[in-house]
Amino acid sequence: MGLRKLLRIARWEVATATGTVDRRTVAVLIVALLAAGAGAPAITSGAGQLDAGLYTVAVDDDHPYHDAIEERSSLRIVGDADDADLVVTDDVVRVADTTTGDAAQTELRDAIRSFNNRHLRAEDDQAAAFPVLVDLVFVEQSGGAAVGGDGGGGDGVGGDGASDGGSGDGGGSAGTDGTAGDGSGDGTAGDGTTSDGGTGDGGTDAGTGDDGGSGGDTELPVPDIGFGGGGAQSGTPGSISAPFPFSSLLLAFVFVLPMNFVIQAYGSTIMDERRNRRGELLLVAPVTRTDVVGGKTLPYLGAITAITVGIAALIGGGPLSVLAVLPIGLLFLGLTFLGAMFARSYKELTFLTVSISVLVTTFVFVPAIFTDVTPIALISPLTLVVMDLDGGSVGLGEIAFAIGPSLLASGVLFGLGTGIYREEDMFTQLPVHRKALDALAAWIHRRRHIAVMTAVFIPFVFVLELLSVAILFALPLAVSLPAIMLLVAVIEEVAKSIHVYAAFEHDRFDRGMPIAIGLGLASGTGFFLAEKVTHAVQLVGLDQLEIAQAAFTPGTDVAPTIAIALFLAPLVLHCVTAAISAVGASRNGREYGVALAVAVLVHAAYNLGVIALAT
Amino acid sequence: MPRDPRLTIARRELAALKSEKTIVLALLIQLFVAGFSSFLVVGLVSMYDPSSVEGGSVDVAITGEGGEDVTRALDSVDGIQPVSFADADEAESRFRDGQYDALLTVTESEDGRLRIRAAVADSGVQSTLVVVRIRDGLEALERDRRAAFDDRLEFEPITLPEESSGSPYVGFTYTVLVPLLCFLPVFISGSIAVDSISEELERGTFELLRAAPVSIVDILDGKLLAAASLAPAQVALWLGLLHVNGIPIDNVPAVLGLVAAITAAIVGLGITIALLAPDRRQAQLVYSVGVLSAFVVASRLPEHPANTVAKLSVGNPTGQTWTLLAGYLVAGALVLVVVRLLVGRLSVEHLGGDR
Repeated sequence: MGLRKLLRIARWEVATATGTVDRRTVAVLIVALLAAGAGAPAITSGAGQLDAGLYTVAVDDDHPYHDAIEERSSLRIVGDADDADLVVTDDVVRVADTTTGDAAQTELRDAIRSFNNRHLRAEDDQAAAFPVLVDLVFVEQSGGAAVGGDGGGGDGVGGDGASDGGSGDGGGSAGTDGTAGDGSGDGTAGDGTTSDGGTGDGGTDAGTGDDGGSGGDTELPVPDIGFGGGGAQSGTPGSISAPFPFSSLLLAFVFVLPMNFVIQAYGSTIMDERRNRRGELLLVAPVTRTDVVGGKTLPYLGAITAITVGIAALIGGGPLSVLAVLPIGLLFLGLTFLGAMFARSYKELTFLTVSISVLVTTFVFVPAIFTDVTPIALISPLTLVVMDLDGGSVGLGEIAFAIGPSLLASGVLFGLGTGIYREEDMFTQLPVHRKALDALAAWIHRRRHIAVMTAVFIPFVFVLELLSVAILFALPLAVSLPAIMLLVAVIEEVAKSIHVYAAFEHDRFDRGMPIAIGLGLASGTGFFLAEKVTHAVQLVGLDQLEIAQAAFTPGTDVAPTIAIALFLAPLVLHCVTAAISAVGASRNGREYGVALAVAVLVHAAYNLGVIALAT
Repeated sequence: MPRDPRLTIARRELAALKSEKTIVLALLIQLFVAGFSSFLVVGLVSMYDPSSVEGGSVDVAITGEGGEDVTRALDSVDGIQPVSFADADEAESRFRDGQYDALLTVTESEDGRLRIRAAVADSGVQSTLVVVRIRDGLEALERDRRAAFDDRLEFEPITLPEESSGSPYVGFTYTVLVPLLCFLPVFISGSIAVDSISEELERGTFELLRAAPVSIVDILDGKLLAAASLAPAQVALWLGLLHVNGIPIDNVPAVLGLVAAITAAIVGLGITIALLAPDRRQAQLVYSVGVLSAFVVASRLPEHPANTVAKLSVGNPTGQTWTLLAGYLVAGALVLVVVRLLVGRLSVEHLGGDR
């Protein structure tokens, strides 16, 4: 692999990519973007509201509720009382016996509440209008030192932030919210720091206040979540909210959005190489596969970097944001590369790219929601961006934990794709799953390759397991624990056996029982060794979570005598289950499926047994 | 009986989708997106909504002057166990030891305002529950005290209506989920149309099709028919699923009509872009940017199409809603006519492959 060759291919890729863009395309794109820019303000103002005029209310003109209802965009006043969702008479609100009626009632209550708050805010005697002020700080118990949340205070301060942000009041009221809160917040900053010596900024700088406002602007009709940032908050009781970094999350999302366009172009260019045997020219050129793949990828990675830096400069993210977003970009590119190597047609590629977009977005978005709640959030690099935007401090270990798995995973993806960047795979038409098996088998020639590949899968296992933990942990423990057990077993067993199946399908090994068992043992050992590395998880304190403990360290709280046995027990387990599925894989596809199911059950039973033993 | 060539081509298009099983992937994606957005809302709301989270009541230690008022107010709220302490240090140490989930320190200023420092144990999900419960309690306190100060206020707050017993997700279902499930298939249909045309152009297979005894307009008709029939079929499937799940959808024919009209327009747009763009990369880029900006520009309409869908499916359409629906139907038909005219005027050389 030569850097100069790689760069030459990269230059050539840039030249063809930009050279074929004709003026007409650029003109159309500019017109479309300008039109979108002109339309954008309407999205945030009245006309774009998704719930505008959704519910009907019959109310008299002189009823006290009338003005509040009229101001609420989602409620529409109708004359006919028969069909209305709500009928407001002197003292009673009659609710239609439908689901819509219930929703309308919630809207009405919200509408009255913000109406009250708006008028109270105009009062001269603010002490009487808002007779209670709350300063909320989060404190670590029985540890002694108080930690007032890591900064970002002051988001969503004041007014009725919590309910407004949820139901989508206009931007105007959100603005006033910010200002109303400012005064009260200033006082608290002192309080918070002197009394507990914690780091709660209780902050009220204008910047974060604005962020809160922008959160309120968005018209997501999410009921009652609120958009307060984490850490210390202060304001009226209605404004304090559970930690939920809504506005920062939205901004972080801005980073991910443009990548979807980049990967579309990237997928096309890789697919083009495979069309009409065009790529053959590069294959016969005196360059290695790595040069070709690297050179074709580099411009797109560069584009993502440039866009990321631009966005970071625009919304106030620092180098940390850029550092955190790049692994996401690499993950996007790696998956797209593999998808473009697998796809049989443009249509199939489109579906694969859409799936990739959805999956990666879920992966980075869901955990980041819990930024202020749990260390689990750190599996998503996006969490670092949220922290960066919130002004929190991030340790080196946390950074490594957040971007490590994504980086490793994208490296593996590129490796798999490069393995089939050759004539017999590029120019043949095979269903996606056959191509995937090809990609796996391309790297397997000896028994130890099986062990190495299992170990290489660990970042994926890690990411998938943590993602399932992040998704399921909001559920009650009684439901989430068994679900996690099963999911973890499925993920791990597939990771240990899928390449064994691929190897047998490609006749890399003889189909015999002893050989299959040998491969299973190799795979199990590889997994065990690599898994030990992931115990770095505990460095960032993931073990605080019961459910994460279940997933990663079954039985840490047992007597030392059993502890040694328990340390080696996973090795036995992984070898046994991997051998079971390997034997199935050595027969045929269907028997592999059956054997895999058996292995999963054994694995899940073992996990549950360990939990039972430990408690 | 000779078959209509357009139908044959449409069938071939659909068969290609079926054989690649890509349509299954498309359905899975949509299901996933719907599930994902529902998770975001339902999962999060259950996290933040005390009534839907399991767990006992929240123990709160209260100390400071005016603490009795606070204790009384919190006592009236379900799920909170307030305990008043005269000794602030004792309250503090008990809270530190984990005997209480929160510690409220109350100070009363001269103007009668209560300042409460609420220290909440930092314990992940549990602390969100504590925060929500405390908020409810303090809101009740705020109302009580405000009522006591009513001689100092000009504005008299209106009494709040009853809280709804219904699910808080209804608004989300009709304003986000249903429009999402209606417009996602439309976008995908257009994308399929773009790919189908670019593929023929770049493989040079249009020439072969031209040799067949069908007109170019017939070929495009067939492709249009295939792509445009997909979205309404999928939407019908989703609406049916929602119905099975106990979410009633009103005006189903109108919603389907709206989807069909918009699909026709978007697929027509996609085909036009694919025919005019030099290659697939640019076609897809122009198409996706174009559709996204059309979606944004649509907010200039008196009703956003998503809002129209929401109003129709919730059963509260206005006169404007029906006017817009008629407008979409006309626009969809118009786009089809224009695309057919345009295709008829394209030269054979343009479709000949080597461009």
